[in-house]
Amino acid sequence: MSIREILAAVCIILGILVFCCSILGVYRLKYVLNRMHAAALGDTLGLFLVVLGLLILGKDMFHMLKYALIVIFFWVSSPIATHMIAKVELLTDKDYEERMRGK
Amino acid sequence: MSTMSTVIQVILVLFLIASAIGVSVTGNLFMAVIIFMGYSSIMAIIWLFLESPDLAITEAAVGAGVDSVLFFLTLKKVHALKGTREG
Amino acid sequence: MALSEKKSFWQKLKAWIDGEEILINADKYISTREKPELPHFAKHFSTENVRSNKKLYRLMSVFVSLVFIGIMLITVTHLPTFGEASNPSNNEVAERYLEQGIEETGAINFVAGMILDYRAFDTFGESNVLFLAVICVVMLLKRDSKNISAAEDQENAEDDVFDMEDLKLILKKGSKTIAPLVILYGIYVVLNGHLSPGGGFSGGSIIGAGLILYSAANGQKKMQTFFTFRTFTLISVACLLTYCGCKSYSFFTGANHVGYEIPKGVPGAILSSGFILPLNICVGLIVACTMYGFYALFTKGEI
Repeated sequence: MSIREILAAVCIILGILVFCCSILGVYRLKYVLNRMHAAALGDTLGLFLVVLGLLILGKDMFHMLKYALIVIFFWVSSPIATHMIAKVELLTDKDYEERMRGK
Repeated sequence: MSTMSTVIQVILVLFLIASAIGVSVTGNLFMAVIIFMGYSSIMAIIWLFLESPDLAITEAAVGAGVDSVLFFLTLKKVHALKGTREG
Repeated sequence: MALSEKKSFWQKLKAWIDGEEILINADKYISTREKPELPHFAKHFSTENVRSNKKLYRLMSVFVSLVFIGIMLITVTHLPTFGEASNPSNNEVAERYLEQGIEETGAINFVAGMILDYRAFDTFGESNVLFLAVICVVMLLKRDSKNISAAEDQENAEDDVFDMEDLKLILKKGSKTIAPLVILYGIYVVLNGHLSPGGGFSGGSIIGAGLILYSAANGQKKMQTFFTFRTFTLISVACLLTYCGCKSYSFFTGANHVGYEIPKGVPGAILSSGFILPLNICVGLIVACTMYGFYALFTKGEI
């Protein structure tokens, strides 16, 4: 086992751990905005770590470019989707003010 | 076929069945459309395992993307989205 | 025309053609009919007792579904094993496709060779069905002088407010980054339909999804600067006609051994495999227009 494979394995396992944490967060937290925070963790950091591991393992330049494109695509699209969901929640939730004061 | 691939496929098929049951059991139409989206995404991955990437691309674009948009628009047209300003 | 009036044969015929006769008869029937006496057991299933029979209907629906599931599962057990070499589906047709597909169609992607060369007539029918579907939606949902309501107008006005510049800034900038990439990928899938997985339907639906993304972010008005109902009909009809012309040409020359065949080219090059590339482009454009057309008609009622 070379150093490269060990490094890649560490990255992928760390990424999967982050994913586990984010899934746990989605189940445990009650309110939409909190849940979204947990879900976004997996989408950004977890995906980045997993793809970084695959990048280290990659042999073909073309495939590595594709992996990098996946990360860029997710990092552009996921925050926008999250932003829109949060905005809809803010516009439609009637108890939003109370919820914020109660915290 | 390696064992790892088989295990992943079995998990995917179990998930597929669970989401298919979920679509028909859930009473909330909004939730049903979202579960259907998940169903389509899993189906796309299963098509990839069955070595038909054409179908996988189409399933991902139509099933998960366009179909659910059309479902949401239909729900909005018939005023079936609860908890939004369409009420 | 009164009911009891005496009419000549031609008057009767005219009324029958205009549909008046049926209406008059229907009125007469409704005014004079008596409710048929139902047998005892049928009373439980009549439409008047739907509410009280809710549980029964639920049980019956579960029963019917279970029966159907059982029939389907029994049928599946009689099917040959999936992927076995001695299946009846692995006959000489599939063999011929696999052995002589590259020679006869020039496409590396066998699926494209099959659906756009051997079975191109099927695909033509499918494209026509898509076009027909979107025309039906246009008939039902397009907003014109007969199909307007104040509530929908107000909803559309509210949506227009949400399309304003400063309210959706992040979404607009994001869609400007992503939508061109999505559409570019769709074009790549369409153009490489005969070389790699994909083709007209897949690529077209990806392009349609990109158009929907752009329209959802930037509003219908901005979309109409380059995609109106006129462009929609022009592109769809032109693509269908091109498809029909191309395939008629190859059917005619092939059936009569005329010999003016399109050169197949080198398999693997982008300009190869005869008519498959233009046919893929046609199907892709039709599918993209249909997808976007559905979206636009469902949201605002106009393309």
